[in-house]
Amino acid sequence: MSKIIGAVEIGTSKAKALVGEVTAEGGLSIVGMASRPNEGVRKGEIVDYRKAATAVHAALEEAEKMSGTTVDSVYLAQTGAHLRGQMLRGSASVSSSDNRVSVSDLERASEEAKRRQPETGRSYVHHVRTPIILDEKVVEDPVGMLGDKIDLGYWSIDGDDQAIRLALHVISNYSLEVADLILSSIASSTMMAGPDLRRAGTLVIDMGAGVTDLALYRQGYVAFTGVVPVGGDHVTGDLSMGLRILEPYAEKLKIEHGTASPRSSDDKEEVWIIGNKTIGDRSVPRKAISDVVHVRVVELFEIISKELGGLLDPDELKGGVLLTGGGSLLPGIEEIAAKVLGLPVRRASFPPGIAPELAQPENATVLGLLHYGLQDHGLPGRKAGESQTFMSKIAGLVGIGMN
Amino acid sequence: MKKKAKNKSSASAGWKKLAPKSSRRPVSSAALRKRLSSSGKFFLLILALGALSYGGWWLEKSTRSGSRTLDLTGPGVPIAEVSFRTDGVLSEKWFHNWFGPLRDRSLMDLDIGRLHRELLEEDQVAAATISREFPETLSIEIRERQPILVLRLGSKKEGVRDWLVSSDGTLYLGTGYPAKTVSLLPSLVVDPALIRFREDGCGFERLEGVSSVAPLLDLVRREYPGIYRDWVEVSYERPDEDDPGAHVRVRSGKVRNLRFSPENYAAQLKRLNYLLLEPDIRRRPSIDSIDLSHGRSVFAKL
Repeated sequence: MSKIIGAVEIGTSKAKALVGEVTAEGGLSIVGMASRPNEGVRKGEIVDYRKAATAVHAALEEAEKMSGTTVDSVYLAQTGAHLRGQMLRGSASVSSSDNRVSVSDLERASEEAKRRQPETGRSYVHHVRTPIILDEKVVEDPVGMLGDKIDLGYWSIDGDDQAIRLALHVISNYSLEVADLILSSIASSTMMAGPDLRRAGTLVIDMGAGVTDLALYRQGYVAFTGVVPVGGDHVTGDLSMGLRILEPYAEKLKIEHGTASPRSSDDKEEVWIIGNKTIGDRSVPRKAISDVVHVRVVELFEIISKELGGLLDPDELKGGVLLTGGGSLLPGIEEIAAKVLGLPVRRASFPPGIAPELAQPENATVLGLLHYGLQDHGLPGRKAGESQTFMSKIAGLVGIGMN
Repeated sequence: MKKKAKNKSSASAGWKKLAPKSSRRPVSSAALRKRLSSSGKFFLLILALGALSYGGWWLEKSTRSGSRTLDLTGPGVPIAEVSFRTDGVLSEKWFHNWFGPLRDRSLMDLDIGRLHRELLEEDQVAAATISREFPETLSIEIRERQPILVLRLGSKKEGVRDWLVSSDGTLYLGTGYPAKTVSLLPSLVVDPALIRFREDGCGFERLEGVSSVAPLLDLVRREYPGIYRDWVEVSYERPDEDDPGAHVRVRSGKVRNLRFSPENYAAQLKRLNYLLLEPDIRRRPSIDSIDLSHGRSVFAKL
């Protein structure tokens, strides 16, 4: 018997909802997907509850109608500058007399790691497990192995209670439960960076309209996540201000003529633009558009570089940098990013098995929500045999590995 | 999916405490439609469960207990007509009052045997025939007892009451008789020792000997109505035909003491009639006694 699951992303430009069906054989098929323009979110955070809820509910309704079924709960993406990550560590001595590691040892280490509470007014959103260390050696699954001490860590992200509460209310108002909150950067990087890349070390940059999400992997585990409150809307805003045109036209200009890396031919080309009432319609050199875009894009990657600091080690990030999200479609953005970050950069591609109409960079997060949510992220040794097989089949089908 | 969430509950316990305990009023039309759809499904489920429960209760109630007869003919039509026929004075209205309301019962709902027994318990009913005329007619035909005498009895509880006496000796109070009819009946004078209460205390046992007197009364009423109309009291003494002392006495307006023997009432009445037509007898306002009980001889005391 198949299971119906849902995923929701409350984005700055669009609210997206997705309905997936997991078959008994372990296959995942997307049976419904819809998006609606969203005017209630700024920089990844809900600023107008009613507008955000209206957009999300409309997207959910259309996705359910398309799928011909209803969902009871959804995985919800979380982003926004209010999110902060920190590494939490815990350790436990192996309790058994024969020094064999048991699940209870891992659980004690896990409890110690999560014991630290966030600041007042903040709550944990997501705990992503880091490598397990048994007697100073990294191991995948220490259960049954001999050792004295277990060290375990989590990259834990906490966020503002009010921001989280608003997002939860949007979903509950549609009579749905939130199965889990998943960081947007984790969701999109799970989708776009395969296990090999994550093991090699990679930085995934998801360039959205309001914010840019970062997820950095080392040796297959999350080492850092972050949110930069700069996105495609800022480029549009700059174009609108700089060229004195309305934002909808600025957005159109950005999409049609914008480039992150100005070309020499831009000087000679003119673009006809529709201005506002004070200046009227006129033409501008394409270079003017490119310059505005270039400055903002360079600024974005400089912020990212500063945010990551020493983590941007080419020896640790042999997988390079992957760009995804709507902003990654900007021509020339890979060159600018490579120049600023000092690492090879390329646009991420979807794994095989995703329908072409869904395999758009802007859908990386919402698709990643389902795949991440279906995986079992519990401690080793606690997994049920059946679910492990089930998860393996899913992973095999879509080419996504497990952490 | 909920199982997965449970596995992660310790990891995500932080944000779970922020989840709303109850839903607010829907803020969008899509949310309102979703809420109505969920409520509608829930309501339909309750309705279906309620209908199933009611159906189960109704079925259990219908098949419980053996006192009700099985409806082998399927659902019956309520009785629409009662056909009531009698050779006496009882009316259909009497039957309806006696039977009670039909209450939408069908023909098969009635216990005909029981109805027959209960009708026969009425002293005025001598015989009854009850039949079902499908689909909706109940047919009742009764033969009533005919009163031949009136017996006035008194008791401390009920005072003096006139009991009708039928030809088989049954004593009953009678329903539906016109007062004139009852007033024309001769009174019965009988030894009180012959009157016995029934065991159930409702009424009296049959009077012995009346069946021997009844043919006299029947004959005189039919053949000699003028003579019958004058009869006031009737009494009898050991009216068994084999008893030589048996006789029937009648007091009429004209003759204070008429004596009949219990055999050959027709011959005796013929002689009486002849005698009463004699001019000498006719001229007299009253006659003391006429004894017809000695065969062809008649003794009269003028």
